[in-house]
Amino acid sequence: MEQELVNLQNQAKEQLATIENDGQLEEFRIRFLGRKSQFSSIMKGLAEVAKEDKPRLGQMANSIKKEIEALYDTKRQEISSNSSASSADNNGIDLTLPGRKPQTGKLHPVTQIMNEVCSIFESLGFSVAEGPDVEHDHYNFEALNIPAHHPARDMHDTFYVSDSILLRTHTSPMQARIMETRQPPLRVIAPGKVYRCDSDITHTPMFHQVEGFLVDRDVSFADLKGVLTIFTQKMFDRDLELRFRPSFFPFTEPSAEVDIACVMCGGSGCRVCKRTGWLEILGSGMIDPEVFKMVGYDPEVYSGFAFGLGIERIAMLKYGIDDIRLYYENDLRFLSQF
Amino acid sequence: MKFTLDWLKEYVDTGDLSPDTLAEHLTMLGLEVDSVTPLFPELQPLKTAKVLSVEAHPNADKLHLCEVAVGDDTLTIVCGAPNVRKDLVTAIALVGTVMPDGTKIKASKVRGVKSHGMLCSERELGLSDSHDGIMELPSDLEHGQPLLEALGMNDLLVEVDLTPNRPDCASVIGIAREVAGITRTPLTLPVEKTTLEHSNRDFSVDVENSEMCPRYAARLIRNVKIEQSPWWIRKRLLSIGLRPINNVVDITNLVMMEYGQPLHAFDYDTLGGNQIIVRQPRNDEKTFTTLDGEEHTLDTSMLMICDANEPVAVAGVMGGMNSEVSETTTNILLESACFNAVSVRRTARKLKLATEASYRFERGVDPGGCVTAMERAVSLFCEIAGGDAAQGGVDYYGGVRPLNSQKLRISRTSALLGIDLDYEKITDVLQSIGIRCKPKDDDTIWVNPPTFRIDIEREVDLVEEVARLVGYNNIPTNLPTVSLSYPEQDAKRKLRTQATNLLADMGFSEAINYSFVTEQHVSMMNLAEDDIRRAQVKLLNPLSEEQSVMRTMLLPGLLENLKRNINFQKTAVKIFEIGKVFTPQGDNEQPVEKERLTCILSGKRSGEASSLYNSDDNVDIFDAKGMVELLLETLRLYGCGEDVIRFRTPDENEADLFADPAQCLLLESEQGTVGQLSRLLPEIAKQFGIKQDVFFIDLDFELLSTLKSAVKNFQPLPVYPAVKRDIALLVPAGTKAGDLLDTIRTSKEKFIEHCEVFDVYQGKSLDAGMKSVAVSVTYRSPTKTLTEKNVNKSHTKIINTLTSKFNGSLREG
Repeated sequence: MEQELVNLQNQAKEQLATIENDGQLEEFRIRFLGRKSQFSSIMKGLAEVAKEDKPRLGQMANSIKKEIEALYDTKRQEISSNSSASSADNNGIDLTLPGRKPQTGKLHPVTQIMNEVCSIFESLGFSVAEGPDVEHDHYNFEALNIPAHHPARDMHDTFYVSDSILLRTHTSPMQARIMETRQPPLRVIAPGKVYRCDSDITHTPMFHQVEGFLVDRDVSFADLKGVLTIFTQKMFDRDLELRFRPSFFPFTEPSAEVDIACVMCGGSGCRVCKRTGWLEILGSGMIDPEVFKMVGYDPEVYSGFAFGLGIERIAMLKYGIDDIRLYYENDLRFLSQF
Repeated sequence: MKFTLDWLKEYVDTGDLSPDTLAEHLTMLGLEVDSVTPLFPELQPLKTAKVLSVEAHPNADKLHLCEVAVGDDTLTIVCGAPNVRKDLVTAIALVGTVMPDGTKIKASKVRGVKSHGMLCSERELGLSDSHDGIMELPSDLEHGQPLLEALGMNDLLVEVDLTPNRPDCASVIGIAREVAGITRTPLTLPVEKTTLEHSNRDFSVDVENSEMCPRYAARLIRNVKIEQSPWWIRKRLLSIGLRPINNVVDITNLVMMEYGQPLHAFDYDTLGGNQIIVRQPRNDEKTFTTLDGEEHTLDTSMLMICDANEPVAVAGVMGGMNSEVSETTTNILLESACFNAVSVRRTARKLKLATEASYRFERGVDPGGCVTAMERAVSLFCEIAGGDAAQGGVDYYGGVRPLNSQKLRISRTSALLGIDLDYEKITDVLQSIGIRCKPKDDDTIWVNPPTFRIDIEREVDLVEEVARLVGYNNIPTNLPTVSLSYPEQDAKRKLRTQATNLLADMGFSEAINYSFVTEQHVSMMNLAEDDIRRAQVKLLNPLSEEQSVMRTMLLPGLLENLKRNINFQKTAVKIFEIGKVFTPQGDNEQPVEKERLTCILSGKRSGEASSLYNSDDNVDIFDAKGMVELLLETLRLYGCGEDVIRFRTPDENEADLFADPAQCLLLESEQGTVGQLSRLLPEIAKQFGIKQDVFFIDLDFELLSTLKSAVKNFQPLPVYPAVKRDIALLVPAGTKAGDLLDTIRTSKEKFIEHCEVFDVYQGKSLDAGMKSVAVSVTYRSPTKTLTEKNVNKSHTKIINTLTSKFNGSLREG
């Protein structure tokens, strides 16, 4: 019996190798695997073998059967793929049916823009540092030349946790934190969440900023213009017209707002740019000597510039989002669009 | 800061600059123009009209029938005003006009007589509170012309968004100075800089604290007649949104808007002892009523203007009720002072008062301008209110610091700005706005800023002036020369990018929630009383109860997001958030901020995918587990050689009270628990209004980022074939498949390469209390092709071990 099985196995393998079409394959199936196949008749003999041989022979028969089945399957797939490859007239497959798409999710638009902003500055050699959301009054204000009772504090509607602890109103505290512990030359950006107690269609009480600064010998306002021009053009993927406009921040002098030609109307004036043709996208300036003095840098030796920009605003301009509150509702119909 | 173009032109010739160009220039000088809009656009349709005749209304005593000329038309109008009379020139709203309050004028019958329009009072036009009668316009005005033109209000309102460093521009003359710099034309001022003859026979002024009050000037004006201001003054005030009150108050406001110097007029006869004492309140002076009728609580840090007996004004903020100018006032004491900015700001904050005066003092008022502005007001008092100015007055300036010349280096200016500048260029631009310069040496300029530029204190402030006046856009664009260095990457940030990208690929969308949440979350999550997450950092001034504490976990926010999506018919939700949670420390200490990564899964597994190819099955705990496994494998913390993280079931009472203890796995590392994956208890989901099953993953991202991932280590590819054998085991239903696999893995049998469960079955055909677990074992040798014999030996041993250890048997057939 054992020999019969081995013979059958060999025969099957030989015959299978010669098969070329469905008809021959079906003949093979009937001969070797069907209910009236040679294999079945051998198996019937299993009942008559000696009891001690039964498990061994049974197992052997099973494994041979499995092997033949596997070979048969392989052959069948081979033949069927050959035939469908050649049958251009096959109208059985409806290709208008949708594809089998793996389901993926999306990163939040704020994260996407944040990553884009960071990568532009990282390509320029800036390193990235993150700091605490809940900050000391000192780093958020004092170290940035905004003493208590300075009118500039009106520009920051601050959430307080205690007299001296607050939710940072900008990412600028990282300027002071980093300069305090490191020596120039410095090229750093600090992304993160910031908080202001203000809520309407254009303000949410939490939003995201990226602060950046560069400190070295002989850094000039012209350098600030150069770096921010590169950033703006990469960020908006084109040679946008931009302008630098005098402004005021207590921790920079001179200070500048950077406006880009309105991305909606191209500068001719529309609702988004309030008919000015310009959109404010970031604040910047040469770091104030007072800030340097507070961290122990000599302003006669070092100079530098700093800038800060709001991520939500850039996302709004890039994607045409018209209501800032959508960012934090986490509605999949919104998130899946980006 | 608001002004009108006409007003500006009183002081400076704007040449041929169009309003838009002028606005553009101001913006580029740092005085950002927010808007340029026509004044009172709602009054544009109104016309002037002349009353031709007045007759009594046939059916009403108090009404008149008037024939009114409006240009070429003669109209019949019904009017009830007592002052309507022949030849009166007034304002008319013709049929179809929409009034400032929104009503539309229609041709309608009034007591049986048709009226073709309405003659208007000042109140109806929004110009004043006067409703005693219709407007009385100069009788020589032509009828039928637009009212705005007739009133001289065909003007443009300009609104400038002032930065805090430019209080000098909180005045029309301040803006005019900047414009003069653009057009290079001289200013025409109503009163040039003057001095005051110091003589105070009638009253005395004592300043107790020169730090808080560096300058205090005052003059006495007798015999004023309090009445309505002439139209030109009211027009100016109305045009910028200030309400005219009476001639004395209006003059002080007008001059404040002109010069930026807040002024205050006291009723001189109410001042006890004819004395002004500038001092802090005494201990017994606890309250004070300001002229708006509000009573305020004082403290001794505030600065008050007092007479011989008591406070009469809050210095720099608001006058008092007790010394207010009223209809019966005849003599006034005019104050023009300079108060300390910080002191005024503190006081205004404490009293919750914000006035035009405090706005200016907080930012800084020109200590050199007090007397000039006062003289302008005095001359108006005399001219308009019929007053007689007493000779001389008081000018205390004990706290005014002498002005020092400043040095400005040409080389420093050029280097900082990155533009080549010389003496001529720098002095040309600085002098255009009244900053005087003279050479000191080849590189240094002596510079004398005017007293109103209190923001110019240092060399760098002058550099800014130069930059601003040269024009930022005329400064070249350059790139810094820096030495090459490698920007080091923060490990946590790198891991975050990796994890978030992977989660998005796995079908999760990223959520970002506010860091502040409702205090209720911790209770809604049923946190244990001693759970550390119950301690929350509270905001002192939250916007609402919903956003009053810093979050201690991310899950509640995500559950709210899930609820929102379900409401909008998105029931298959996979979202994650990576963000900080906050643990309070001491009172004046920063809380500990730790990043967590939390995911939730709920609803249909295949999400939005077509059900053409997918089952409608919902996610279960194994989806959550699979996601974690894949995440950790990708981060090489699991399934890559030695597992850095292991799964375990929680001990009794160890699971969070919001997690289903039967479907909860904790993730353990050498450094502690990294997190968990669980089914949310349905009663917790219900707290958030969610009725469907929710599974979540919550990881301590801080800890995760410190774990050392397995290094990538190449293994040679197997040369010899593998042999796969299946085992179907019948074991008691409580047996864990993982234990079966562990037993196989840890058995001493050689050649075991891999084993896995491929089927678990429990059902009718089996004995009760039993289940079938089918395991496939892969054998392979690195050195030879395994024979049946090799494999059988090991396989049999494994089967025996399993059946005896787990009390099971091989499943037949």
